[in-house]
Amino acid sequence: MSWLRDKLVEVLPIGFAPTVMLVIAVAAGGYLLAVDREAKKPDLTVWTFSNTHFDAFRQSVPDFQRRHAPLEIDLQLVQYRVLDRRLRSAMWAGLDVPNLVELNFNRAGTFFRGPIDKVGFIDLKPFLERTDSTGMRYLDRILPSRLAAYTNRGRIFGLPHDVHPHAVAYRRDIFQAEGIDPDAIRTWDDFIKVGHLLTIPDKRYMIQLDDTGVLSFEALLLQRGGGFFDAEGKLMIDSETAVRTLLWFVPLVAGPDRIADNPASQGQAFYKAIGDGYVLSFLCPDWLTSKIEMNLPHLSGKLALMPLPAVTPDGRRTTVRSGTMLGITTKTPDPELAWALATYLYFDRARVGQRFRATNTLPPNRDAWDAPAFHEPKAYWSGQRIGELYIALAGQVPTQYSSPYQELAAEKVGQVIAGACAYYRLHGKDGFESFVRGRLNQQARAVRIQMQRNPF
Amino acid sequence: MWHRWQSRHAPYLFISPFLILFVLFWGYPLVQSLRLSLFATSGPNSEVFVGLDNFHFLLRDPDFHLAVKNTLVYAFFAVGVQLPLSLGLAVLLNRRGLRLPNVFRFVFFSPHLMGTVFASVLFGLIFAPRFGVFNRVLHLAVGLPMNTRWLGDANLVMPAIILLSLWLNVGFYMIYFLAALQGVRQDLYEAARVDGAGPWMRFLHVTLPGIWPVTLFVLVISTIGSFRIFELPWLLLQNTTGPDQSGLFVVTYLYQKGFEAADLGYASAIGWSLTASLLVLTLAQLRFGGMARGVN
Repeated sequence: MSWLRDKLVEVLPIGFAPTVMLVIAVAAGGYLLAVDREAKKPDLTVWTFSNTHFDAFRQSVPDFQRRHAPLEIDLQLVQYRVLDRRLRSAMWAGLDVPNLVELNFNRAGTFFRGPIDKVGFIDLKPFLERTDSTGMRYLDRILPSRLAAYTNRGRIFGLPHDVHPHAVAYRRDIFQAEGIDPDAIRTWDDFIKVGHLLTIPDKRYMIQLDDTGVLSFEALLLQRGGGFFDAEGKLMIDSETAVRTLLWFVPLVAGPDRIADNPASQGQAFYKAIGDGYVLSFLCPDWLTSKIEMNLPHLSGKLALMPLPAVTPDGRRTTVRSGTMLGITTKTPDPELAWALATYLYFDRARVGQRFRATNTLPPNRDAWDAPAFHEPKAYWSGQRIGELYIALAGQVPTQYSSPYQELAAEKVGQVIAGACAYYRLHGKDGFESFVRGRLNQQARAVRIQMQRNPF
Repeated sequence: MWHRWQSRHAPYLFISPFLILFVLFWGYPLVQSLRLSLFATSGPNSEVFVGLDNFHFLLRDPDFHLAVKNTLVYAFFAVGVQLPLSLGLAVLLNRRGLRLPNVFRFVFFSPHLMGTVFASVLFGLIFAPRFGVFNRVLHLAVGLPMNTRWLGDANLVMPAIILLSLWLNVGFYMIYFLAALQGVRQDLYEAARVDGAGPWMRFLHVTLPGIWPVTLFVLVISTIGSFRIFELPWLLLQNTTGPDQSGLFVVTYLYQKGFEAADLGYASAIGWSLTASLLVLTLAQLRFGGMARGVN
């Protein structure tokens, strides 16, 4: 044996050990190349970032597989930020791109950037113009305001998952103890008046509103008919509506007469502030109600919902912010099958009812809203039929348009809000309006410069 | 003949695995990023040649200027406080007669073992207003309000990031200084004592020159590390740049542009400007550090 080894050392130019390693590497590589790995790929791969969606889809997928057997579907739950990176990398490299993918509204626009024919999602318009088994066009079933959110340069790249109407969730037990009738609160002026009665500085605030970012402001701006972008993708953060909304918003969250505080906009600090009664109410989109139920079980029966106060007595009693879309990627070999799964997951009447029971999220297909699930009372929400409440608000939901520059605009407006709050705390109303106008114009200019640099 | 071939080519064969990997995963991306910096892009598959426009835009991009300013402030305080603290701790732990020195060393070094990601997530809770441990301690100690928003107030974000960075890194750099201190010749201290030098003079004229190469090394790597700060503020501020972009750093901006806005060209230009700045800064540190050593 040693004779053989010595001989090999003599003959082999790189020595015995490296040769053995080389042989192993070549053999392993050869094996990987020889085995047909494509054969093991599922027929459809679906990515979602939401665990509630994942759970709902997991229940639905086996039935779809049975109907289209033999069919293998790989359903994957990928963390929100990770999904964004993985999808982008996959699309850039053209490798392991999922067939169907759920994206958050804030991130969706960035995937629509670049030449229209190189967007990684197929245009769903031809599919949506088809009629379903009831003879109804998909386009007519879906709330138009929600389709607009995922429309870019005339193409529809995403199927909306939700409506996300906003209500105000409030501590019913504390309101009751203080003798406040929530039905009497119809406008923001009414709400602020009550807020001054209930707020005890540093101990208790009427409402949680975000004073460092756009989470609350954007929703309230949309309620007033404003927004960050219009249907053509034009920036609107320095519009008169934005200025007026900010001038109204800042005194709510800053200065001596504020009725809002921001212990946190999300996470455990947010839930604890509600649980402690530190904040008595908060803007509550449909999806948040299920998170509240999960994180604050001890508040069952102590919370209730009311429509958002209107800006004017006959004004809109709700707003919207964000959402989720389902897109079919251009790498999908069988878009028809992907479309079939998409409509099954999103529009099947029985499924959306089940999904509402689990997530409290209102689907955008209006024809499903008469299903029993949307009309059941919820003990947690003091016995309210929250499905009916959100359905009543859904028709008034404003349109929010996506843009590749959505997050940039949000960041800039966030800067203005933080600056305006700091200014208001120091100087009050003196020069406040010109400060707000100046800062909004300045930040709008900065966003427009970035937008103008886009040659596509 | 065969043996001559072997002796001539064998070295190349031996270094070829490294060379191939180096060219493939370092050299090629480097050249590609330089090329990309001359293009406006939407991902790697859509690009338009713009020449030096990306670099020109850097000069008038207020966000980039803010990122540079924040990075410089962070680097100044992080390095400026970190190094003296690390050295001070090392000197204390190097003293003869100290009980349980290894326990103290481990205690000070252990935060570094936790890792930036975990520490950032943990400190997100520690810095929380109303019930965060940090506010609780400060409230009891100096009466600071419990609802102080370390991560929600633009003026407090940078101090919070610097504090966390110090907590993570002081013990790590302390180990370098400890190793260096143990290498300083004891006879030099004896001689200094004989010459009547007090503790401060011994530190200045014996300790400091003795550990100078390590000090310079720590200065260079901590400066480079400070300029490359990313995951700590990004995770601490929950994937944002914080209120009023107070947590926007150069690498954060690069990440946002490259991987969130898909503008790889501009991100490459930011990356190259950072590389160039670091190169100049490091050369300056080495040059002035070398001169200082010469003086000593």
